[in-house]
Amino acid sequence: MFLGQTLRRKHFERDALPHLPAVYRMARQLVGAESADDLVQETFLRAWKYFETFDPTTNCRAWLFRILRNVWISRWRKSRLELPLVDTGEEQIEPYYDWEGEFLREELSADVEHALSEVPSDYRLAILLADVEDCTYEEIARIMECPIGTVMSRLNRGRRMLARLIQAYGDAHTSGNQPQVFVRRKP
Amino acid sequence: MMDCKDLREVLDLFVDGELSPEATVKAETHLAECQACRRAADRLQGLRQAVKATVSQYEPAPELVHSVRRSTLSPWHRRPAWTLAMVAVALLVVALAASVPQLRGVAANTLEATAFHLDDSRSVVMEGTLLCRDCQLKKEYGYRAMCPLKGHHGTLQTKDGKIWNILDGDASEDLIHNSALLGRIVRIHGRCFRRASSIEVDSYEVL
Repeated sequence: MFLGQTLRRKHFERDALPHLPAVYRMARQLVGAESADDLVQETFLRAWKYFETFDPTTNCRAWLFRILRNVWISRWRKSRLELPLVDTGEEQIEPYYDWEGEFLREELSADVEHALSEVPSDYRLAILLADVEDCTYEEIARIMECPIGTVMSRLNRGRRMLARLIQAYGDAHTSGNQPQVFVRRKP
Repeated sequence: MMDCKDLREVLDLFVDGELSPEATVKAETHLAECQACRRAADRLQGLRQAVKATVSQYEPAPELVHSVRRSTLSPWHRRPAWTLAMVAVALLVVALAASVPQLRGVAANTLEATAFHLDDSRSVVMEGTLLCRDCQLKKEYGYRAMCPLKGHHGTLQTKDGKIWNILDGDASEDLIHNSALLGRIVRIHGRCFRRASSIEVDSYEVL
C-alpha cells in the first residue's frame, strides 16, 4: 500500500527521525567520526526509500539499525582489513573469564573507546546494541541476521576481548609501555 | 541450586536481563552467597556502563540533523540551487524556442541535457499507458515483433510519447509479462534512469 506523500513524511518524522541520535552513535563507533555523517545520511535515505516496507507495529529503531548494518557492510566494511569471524554457537562461550581484575577506572573513557575500536566489528556491533541501545538478544539477532546463540557468543567473546584490551591500555599507562594488543588482523 | 560454574556460564545473560525469572532467582541467590561471583557480576555490569557512558557522549551535529530532515522530508530534497537555476534557464529556452523556430533544436538539446542533470536516480512517480514494446516498435517502425512466439513485453508510454523500459524485478514482473495489463494506465513508484530510458519499479497502481 502506498501512503500519500504527506502522510508518509508525517509517519517518517514521527517513527524514524527520533532515532537519529542512536543511529549516529552506532555509526560513529562503526566507521569513525569522519565517515559517521555519511553513513547516517545514507541509512536515512534508504530508510525513507523503503519506508513502505516498515511494519509500524515493530520497533523502528531496530529496523533502522538493520538498514545501518546493511549500508555499512555494503559500503564501508568491505574496504576494511578484517578477517571474518568464526562464531557458530554457544560452544565458544568462555565461562571462566576472570572478571576480578581491575580494569575500569573513571578516567579510562578514552581507553574504552580505543579498545572498542579494536574489537572485531561484529562483536563490537553486538556489544553496542546490547550495552548502549539496550536491545534484547532477539532484536540483536534480527538486526545482525544471525541466530540468538551467535549473539550470545559474540557478546561473551566480545566483552572479554574488550575487557582485556582496556586492561592492557590501563597497564600500559601505568608502566609506560605499549599495550599488547591481540586482535586478529590481516598480515 | 546454582554453583560458581553455572553462574559464570550465564553471567552475560544475567546482566543483560535475558535469564528466565526462575534462573534469575537462582543466580541472585548464588550471588548473595558468593563474593567472587558478585564481584564478577559487578565488573561486567561496570563494563556495560562504561561502554554506554563512553558511546552516549556523542550527539549528531545540528547540520547533520538538518541535512537528514531535508533529504527525507523535503519534496525538493537534495536539489542544489544550481539545479533550480537550470530549471529557470530551461524554461527560458522553451519560451525562446516557442517564438523562434530556429532555436527549437537548441532548446530540445538543452532540455534533454537539463533532464539528464536533474535525473539523480532517486524516487519518482511516473504515470502512463502500459504498452507492448515490440508491438509498438512494429507499429511505429515496422520492427519484426516476435510477440506471437515469445509473448508481449510491457513498457510504459508517458504522455509525452516517450517509451520507458521497465527493468526486471519482483515488483515489475506483472507489468512486463502480464498481457492482461496492456493498455491500462498505471502509476509506477520507483527510480528513473533517464539516460537508459529505464524505470526500476518499487510498486505500482493500476488506475
